[in-house]
Amino acid sequence: MPPLAQVLERCATTPPNILATLQKVQATLGYVPHTAVPEIAHALGVTDSDVAGVLSFYHDLRTEPPGKHTIRFCLGESCLAAGAEKSLAAIEKKLGCELGETTKDKRFTLEKVYCLGNCALSPCAMIGEDVHGRVLPKTLADLLKEYKK
Amino acid sequence: MKLYVPHDTTAVAAGANRVADALRKLPGAEIVRTGSRGAFFLEPLVEVDTPAGRAAYANVQPKQAATLLKKKPTPIAQIPFLAQQTRFTFANAGITDPLDVKAYGFSALDKARGMGPQKLIDEVKTAQLRGRGGAAFPAGIKWQTTKDVQSPVKYVVANADEGDPGTYSDRMIMEGDPFRLIEGMAICARAVGAKKGYVYIRSEYPAAIRRMRAAAVRALEAGMLGPESFELEIFIGAGAYICGEETALLESLEGKRGMVRPKPPFPAIEGLYGKPTVVNNVVTFATVPDIILRGGAWHASMGTEKSKGTMPLQLAGCIKQAGLVEVPFGLTLEEAIYAFGGGLPKGSRFKAVQVGGPLGSVFPEALLKTRICFDEFIKAGGILGHGGIVVFDQRTDMRVLARHYMEFTADESCGKCTPCRVGSTRAKEILDAAVKGEATDEDYALLNELGDTMKSTSLCALGGLAPEPVRTIMQYFGKEFQKRR
Repeated sequence: MPPLAQVLERCATTPPNILATLQKVQATLGYVPHTAVPEIAHALGVTDSDVAGVLSFYHDLRTEPPGKHTIRFCLGESCLAAGAEKSLAAIEKKLGCELGETTKDKRFTLEKVYCLGNCALSPCAMIGEDVHGRVLPKTLADLLKEYKK
Repeated sequence: MKLYVPHDTTAVAAGANRVADALRKLPGAEIVRTGSRGAFFLEPLVEVDTPAGRAAYANVQPKQAATLLKKKPTPIAQIPFLAQQTRFTFANAGITDPLDVKAYGFSALDKARGMGPQKLIDEVKTAQLRGRGGAAFPAGIKWQTTKDVQSPVKYVVANADEGDPGTYSDRMIMEGDPFRLIEGMAICARAVGAKKGYVYIRSEYPAAIRRMRAAAVRALEAGMLGPESFELEIFIGAGAYICGEETALLESLEGKRGMVRPKPPFPAIEGLYGKPTVVNNVVTFATVPDIILRGGAWHASMGTEKSKGTMPLQLAGCIKQAGLVEVPFGLTLEEAIYAFGGGLPKGSRFKAVQVGGPLGSVFPEALLKTRICFDEFIKAGGILGHGGIVVFDQRTDMRVLARHYMEFTADESCGKCTPCRVGSTRAKEILDAAVKGEATDEDYALLNELGDTMKSTSLCALGGLAPEPVRTIMQYFGKEFQKRR
């Protein structure tokens, strides 16, 4: 059975939960392709537009494959007060891509996030599920090296 | 020998895992991973037992591990940041293994099981417990409402979508003392007659999610949860600030777009799947066990006239000693920032402080004497919200900050009501122009008007309060907006 069908088999609940289903699809495929919407809708017994509506609402859900590592760079107020904009500019320069984009080598996707609850170590960024603090222009290179592979 | 090393997100970001690995190599060392006490400026903070209680080594680096124990640790009681606090809700954070059921005890739930539902609600009412999520609504009234509705199915939901930038108290409870949240929810379920509950956790908190899931399993094994009493499920959000609003949260929990529902009906009467639902913030639930154990009157004996108990303040931004401060309501902002936070770092001068998150206000130095409680903040033109305090220094361009708030709202508006959806985008455009020095007096008049419209006609607090930080910035730092290109 194809991976999508396998996931959907586990998601057929009453009542259906579209968000939880899309999260599981994304955990398996890395993203939720637009082309998968009808199959998801059919499996859950809802309309295509129900699924597409949820898919487009949440920042976490993506319709394009991400890079190997997703960097979620914090632009919350504490990080702004600690110079996050300078760090962000440095990281964009280093990666050669802007917020919302993926590097050419598909290694990193750069996104913004509003607060990781790590404000005592602002500015912060989360790479995958690792939360990092004091992400400063001068420490960026070392940090990204940890995720080179 | 037991060595206590925090496993909290911020402690780990400061290097606590590497320190734990290094300490593990010491002969006879038994590493106990704990939550954090919240003195984040001291992390990684390694603790040992002494005859006089716990003592700590601050800012430990892995290379210091081999010789660490030869040095004299500082007794916790001699660390002013911690010694000046009144810890109840955060009493275990940083002290115990968060997943040790025996150490936690669940004594409040045991006691609650011997009390009638109405007696439990009466204690919460006596305690005058107000919601810690931001709205400060009396928890006892909410619980009573749900209890009084006749329905075979009811729900209890913990709002762990801690979205206000600059706050982390919910995260610390979930990572450092998850059973306290579970116990508070189980007591609530018993009081209102619910058998099923959810913790809705934001996806930005992976460590809290892991810890809560593990804690729910252990609580079930220990008989504190169960199909006959109270079943608990962990639900993960998907990166939408609006889902911290209780009706949007319920929509999201049902798997839909996180769009706000008009109120009434209130969730306490028609909530999840249309059933009566208590939605409380994590800290609110975590305050309940102590209220049941010590009595509502004990809780009501602390704080100010209308803000009872303690509040976990979260210091962040341009501040020397960032961290969590649990104190009875009533101290001033100045005391929080200087007596606890140690003031600003070298080279920084105070310029402004954000209180109450992105729906709160930006206060100037002149308002630092404001006492920290719900009512004084409202009088001063702000809200205490979830207790976040973010300090800005002289380098902050207030126009850029104002634009940030509107960009945040434009990003996070659910789009259901026009004033918030369109108003935030239009206001952001004006502030874009302001940053460039191109905004005119007419633009600012329009900005004011947009703010008033959002305030009076938005469906929920996001649209209704989002103009506040901008309004207060213009009020106190208006001069900066007169700069024209």
